[in-house]
Amino acid sequence: SRSSHLHVFLTLFIVIISKKWTKIPKHVPEQKPHFTECISRNQETFRCWWSPGSFHNLSSPGALRVFYLKKEPPTSQWKECPEYIHSNRECFFDAHHTSIWITYCVQLRTQNNITYFNEDDCFSVENIVRPDPPVSLNWTLMTISPSRINYDVMVNWESPPTADVRLGWMRLEYELQYRDRNTTNWEAVRLVVIIIMMSSVSFCFLESPVHLTLVFVFGTVGILILIMLIVISQQNRLMIFLLPPVPAPKIKGIDSELLKKGKLDELNFMLSSGGMDGLPIYAPDFYQDEPWVELMEVNETEDVDSGEKEDNRGSDTQKLLGQSQPVSQHINISCSNSISGPDAESAQATCYNTDLPEEETLMLMATLLPGQPDEEETSLDTVERSSASETDERQLIQTQTRGPQTWVNTDFYAQVSNVMPSGGVVLSPGQQLRIQESISAAEKETKKKRKESEDSEESEERKQKEPQFQLLVVDPEGSAYSTESSIQQISTPPPSSPMPGEGYHIIHPQPVEPRPAATTEVNQSPYILPDSPQFFAPVADYTVVQDLDSHHSLLLNLPSHQTPPPCLPQHPLKTPMPVGYITPDLLGNLSQ
Amino acid sequence: MKTDFCEILQKLNSNNGSMLCVVTMCRAVPINDLIYRASQQSDKLHALSTMLTQELVCTYRVHACHTSSLQTPTDKEQALQVSESDLLSLARSLLQAWSDPLVVLSSSTNVLPYSAQSTLSKTIQKMQEHSKDLKDGLDILSSKMGPAAQTITSLPFIETNEIGQDKITKLLSCFRRDSHKIDSFLKVLRCRAANMQPQMC
Repeated sequence: SRSSHLHVFLTLFIVIISKKWTKIPKHVPEQKPHFTECISRNQETFRCWWSPGSFHNLSSPGALRVFYLKKEPPTSQWKECPEYIHSNRECFFDAHHTSIWITYCVQLRTQNNITYFNEDDCFSVENIVRPDPPVSLNWTLMTISPSRINYDVMVNWESPPTADVRLGWMRLEYELQYRDRNTTNWEAVRLVVIIIMMSSVSFCFLESPVHLTLVFVFGTVGILILIMLIVISQQNRLMIFLLPPVPAPKIKGIDSELLKKGKLDELNFMLSSGGMDGLPIYAPDFYQDEPWVELMEVNETEDVDSGEKEDNRGSDTQKLLGQSQPVSQHINISCSNSISGPDAESAQATCYNTDLPEEETLMLMATLLPGQPDEEETSLDTVERSSASETDERQLIQTQTRGPQTWVNTDFYAQVSNVMPSGGVVLSPGQQLRIQESISAAEKETKKKRKESEDSEESEERKQKEPQFQLLVVDPEGSAYSTESSIQQISTPPPSSPMPGEGYHIIHPQPVEPRPAATTEVNQSPYILPDSPQFFAPVADYTVVQDLDSHHSLLLNLPSHQTPPPCLPQHPLKTPMPVGYITPDLLGNLSQ
Repeated sequence: MKTDFCEILQKLNSNNGSMLCVVTMCRAVPINDLIYRASQQSDKLHALSTMLTQELVCTYRVHACHTSSLQTPTDKEQALQVSESDLLSLARSLLQAWSDPLVVLSSSTNVLPYSAQSTLSKTIQKMQEHSKDLKDGLDILSSKMGPAAQTITSLPFIETNEIGQDKITKLLSCFRRDSHKIDSFLKVLRCRAANMQPQMC
């Protein structure tokens, strides 16, 4: 019959254990005669086996007799076994003597009517049924997978002939077990019987009327059409929602048109000097609405007298500006740091350092991120933001190319050498600069662009340079731009400087020591002042963009030591800082 | 009556746990399928009672159950000679006779050790659910099989003087036997009804 399960064993070895019936006597020294088991194979007949126990004198056939009691009203008498099989010490109850749902009790008696019996020797036939195993077990190989690892095998069998499953008197469940030839443990196969269910399923489906299906179909189609209409009508909004547009570059006071190709001259003009009406960018107010920008006022003249300043000559800025003179020489530069509002520009203008050599020092610091090979790309991804600074940067660069003078205006960049995964930026006087992410969203963009083009060129140069890391990690969270004072702490690479891989150290802006030098106040400045010469050892400088090759990749070369020293810390506002990325097209303009 | 079929069908189906048959309007359900599903339910019921008895009843005891007065076939030949209607009637009578005792059984669990209480309670609750579903299905089935199938012999349950664990043991043993009877009758019925579809037997 088709039952959902049938217990099948693949071996002919059948363990016949009647869990309910086995009466194992307690381990007494003397074991009385007892019944070992009673089992029914087909729920129509049953058999009982007994044992003489330790009474070996009763082991001969006929020495022990079997009596049974059927608790069936009206009569309840002990009757003798209907059929003995002495060779097996077995008593067989045929169908005529077998009733189910009725309690049987069996006992052993000797010839002398000594009775061995206990209450546990009672049972009901339906509870002692143990079917025979299935027969005609066979298997057929169906398919083999190409890898010859998986095989499809069909196993078939037949129900035991003793069990009357055809008439439903017995219903058998099978379990298929298998084992590897080398092992001894049998594993069961879960039979998923679908066939039975399928007939019922089909029954259910066939029962459902046709119009229901139509309702479902039409309903689904209607919903789909509705969705399409919604999508089409709200297409624009959807597109904006799904693909938000990239914000266009925006600089206050500057027409975005100017930022486009070919208009750098005008932009430069506006940025550098002139239009008072132009760029409020240098005004402190400008940055008010941009929390990530904090201006630090730098009093350059005061710095001059600082002895600390003398420690690190050859600051980046200095070198950038081509000034190799010590700081004292900087003093000659009449830079005034008093930046205050509209005076910023004038102050800036006064900072032109005539001593600066002509040499161009394009400090693409920020822009020229000497993208380190192991730099995290993820940080770059977050960059696509302040295009404002980006464009400013471009302007800066441009300004720089015009000559050191213009560079003076933009001299306090620190070269970003790397960007931390956390968003901090490492600046270094040399090649390792990191720019804080929030400042230099645009930087990263350029970084990214440059990286591919310049990695090969710059990496060697960078590697040659010693990693004198003056980490200027700008804490992205707060206004934690490192200030000069904090920068000053790093006169030498901190002892705990990280491995060569990362050349930066997080500095949290703290007013450690009053800096008499370059910085007047320990203001938070978004811009790292690279031009604090004191803490930059005279190491190699920024990489200077020399030219553009045909593929619009930047050609760099090591800056010479004749790079003019940057003007001492000026108002960082003057240089739209940190990073402008130079795009190839801008560079193209520059080199023209 | 027709709407009852679907409810019964869904109940039986849901207890099978394998099919989701959402039918709002049914045609008449063939008897064969009803019987098939009923026998599946009775099989589950008997399996539950067997499991419970094996766990909680240590030895076999002879009991006089409250359903002993019902005359039922005692072997295969007798069972095969009983008519379908009578078989159904017997099954329904037995089933009806256990609706109250199951309630009594579920309320008597507190005499057992705590560990056994939860097993007993849960299983008894399941048994009650299966019993109810089976009863409903058999009611529908009997309505299609003539008046003889509609006869239910009343077997009142009178609480005897057993207390505590003895009562539970006796009830469990009796219910195991009677659930086996019901299952056997329905299986015979199923195979008889499936003479054209041997796979249903």
